[in-house]
Amino acid sequence: MLNIEKHIEDGNWVLILTGEIDASNSVELDAAVSEVVQEGAKKILIDCSELDYISSAGLGVFMSYLDDFEENNVKMVIFDLKDKVFQVFHILGLDQLITIRPTKEEALKD
Amino acid sequence: MLKLPTPNIGKISILVAILTWLALLFVDITRIFQSVNQMENTLAPEISYILEILFFILVYIFYNYSINKNENIDFLNLIWRGVSTGLLATFISFGISIFYLMLGESKLGSDPLVSNFFYHVNFAFITLFLISTSLLWKHLILYQKSKKVVQQWQAFEVLMLISMFFVFINENDFDYSFIFGLVFLSIFSASLSINLKWIPYLTFKEKWKSILFLVIILVCTTFLFSSLSSYSDIGVTSFVNLTDNLFLIGLFAFVFIYALFSFLVTLFNLPTSSVFEQKLVEAINFQRLSQSIKPGQDESQVLDILIDSSMSASYADGGWLEILDKDNIPQMIQKRFIDEEIREEIIALFQTIKPFSEFDWSLEDNDSKKFYGKIPHNIYKSAFLIPLVVNKKTIGRMYLVKEVRDGFNKEMINIITTFVGQASISVENYRLLNEAIKTERYKEELKIAQRVQRSLLPKELHHNEKFEICGFSVAADEVGGDYYETKNLDEGVFAIIIGDVSGKGTSAAFNMSQMKGIFHSLVQLKPSPGEFLYKANTALSQCLERNHFITTSYFLLDTNLQTIKYSRAGHCPTLFYDHSTDKAEYLSADGLGLGIVRNLNYRNYIHESEFQYEKEDILVLYTDGIIEAKDEKGVEFGYDNLKASLVKYKNLSAEKIQERIIDQVYQFVGEGGIPDDDFSIMVIKFNS
Repeated sequence: MLNIEKHIEDGNWVLILTGEIDASNSVELDAAVSEVVQEGAKKILIDCSELDYISSAGLGVFMSYLDDFEENNVKMVIFDLKDKVFQVFHILGLDQLITIRPTKEEALKD
Repeated sequence: MLKLPTPNIGKISILVAILTWLALLFVDITRIFQSVNQMENTLAPEISYILEILFFILVYIFYNYSINKNENIDFLNLIWRGVSTGLLATFISFGISIFYLMLGESKLGSDPLVSNFFYHVNFAFITLFLISTSLLWKHLILYQKSKKVVQQWQAFEVLMLISMFFVFINENDFDYSFIFGLVFLSIFSASLSINLKWIPYLTFKEKWKSILFLVIILVCTTFLFSSLSSYSDIGVTSFVNLTDNLFLIGLFAFVFIYALFSFLVTLFNLPTSSVFEQKLVEAINFQRLSQSIKPGQDESQVLDILIDSSMSASYADGGWLEILDKDNIPQMIQKRFIDEEIREEIIALFQTIKPFSEFDWSLEDNDSKKFYGKIPHNIYKSAFLIPLVVNKKTIGRMYLVKEVRDGFNKEMINIITTFVGQASISVENYRLLNEAIKTERYKEELKIAQRVQRSLLPKELHHNEKFEICGFSVAADEVGGDYYETKNLDEGVFAIIIGDVSGKGTSAAFNMSQMKGIFHSLVQLKPSPGEFLYKANTALSQCLERNHFITTSYFLLDTNLQTIKYSRAGHCPTLFYDHSTDKAEYLSADGLGLGIVRNLNYRNYIHESEFQYEKEDILVLYTDGIIEAKDEKGVEFGYDNLKASLVKYKNLSAEKIQERIIDQVYQFVGEGGIPDDDFSIMVIKFNS
């Protein structure tokens, strides 16, 4: 189960992900991110404090936006990852490409 | 043994009947001869009576046998048999009258012997006619019999049998007891004659025929009766009286009454017979609709029956049927008696006038809806529209139009609704069956894919006597995205790879086979681990979808130098057991999955490490399916459990270690647990 909540906070788009991201619902994440991009977001904060699991398909969604974001100067920051979920990002090496911050405050500073 | 031929009851009975009749004739003529010549009468009248009764019984046996032999004869043929015997008897009786008329007042005309002969002939044929027709009536009366009717008929037969012997008491006198008996038999006949269940099953045409036949029988009966009475008038019967017999007169009454009842009922049934026929056709149509379509046949056949049945049930003047195609556009499948031009006019009308304009394909409760009413068209005045619904989804609709106003009544609408419901079920069954066949085919295809993919994983892993190696892989779906392989590059030098394609199932399996191709191409160049990852990333960047990636670890094992050189591309860190310290650790070199950065920059993320190994050291390569295997509470197996398992079984052979680790994972997942990701493991143990 995955629940995605979107809102604008101080001019930044914030996505709150709750639950698990796997092959079956990674499309929903993709749709949410692409919708925010369409809105013209320049900074996207992704709150993962309630995210329990992410599969390779979910990582694939973040990965697929990397080039687009770089081209269009969009900044994406993931924050408040649970240890286990951070490990997944770290092992794959995605933490070298995506900004990952421990708290929302730090994420906002970027 | 002498075998007697089985007696043919029909032939024997008719033969004996003829002999009996001849005997009767002889007895009676002898009696007249004696009487005319004023000789002493030596023959008691009882002899005649007994012969007469014998004759009746034999004729009964003959006809009973011959009718039962033709069990499945239809009603009209049955009545026709009565008609033909009746006509025969009538012609003979009529011929005799003409003959006498021609003789006039001649001597021969008044000769008692001659007239008595003809009397006997007439008697015989009348008996044949009455008994055969009674037996035919029996068949009609007992059509769709109930126990009560059968008992009633048996009682009637017993009564008739008794009436044969009545002659001994009454000596053919027309007295009160005779009248009483006759009235009683007539009333009994009348009560039997209300059993006319066969009539409604005749078609309109058959009814007309049967009316004609029944009239003939009535006329014959009347004529024969009157001709018999005339014999009494001319005094033939003063010597022998065969015909003023309660049995015979009773049969006259029965044959006449049943024929009359049948005639009247058939006549009054004529106007309603079309309704009955219509209902019968509807029942047959319903049965045809409910027979499900056989595989390979088209559902249009059912729709064909549907529109024909509905049109005949409502006497519609035109109609057509539309079914939604794959793109949800209505396509006309069936059309009856209506021009395309007029049809388009009516469709245009439907879109503007209520209730037809209220039709909506997307509604879920369409199966309870039907639309009918007037339409302002110059040919067709009323219309009926009914949706075809399968599983709450409207798949089509049927239109019927009539040239009269208010042409569709409640009964018609009810029966059409039933037809449509039944047809929808048939179509649904057909579609479900087709789907099942298709799914079966997909399963078959997947099995083939599974076989092909299994063959992509190596059965034998390259190694030498200095180390043991084994591998195991299981897919969550039919096919998976895990991959491992080895290659012997030089004497004592081996390349080992393990990989995991993102996602799972078929798409992962395709990418896994690409990875295998890349491995086999690049390994020829004997690249260093870092070089391998760089080239593999470049190659995969061309063919992986944007949101897919592959994680891998590549090892170069040199048993001569006892070194391992490796690079990790986002794959789970390899577990290494160091025998000298008796500790297992994860080799956590940095790295980035293949296909994530698809340009030259990828080189910046490659790190190569090298280390020495000793005897008894163990290397465990695996995919994340093992780490992420969950128990019933959703807790993951995790890195610590894997490490603990390895330390626990470190003294076993590589194969045993692998076996135990897999056991541990399965035990952790529990009985009901299923792996929801592909998982693979390779264990390498160094002997020296």
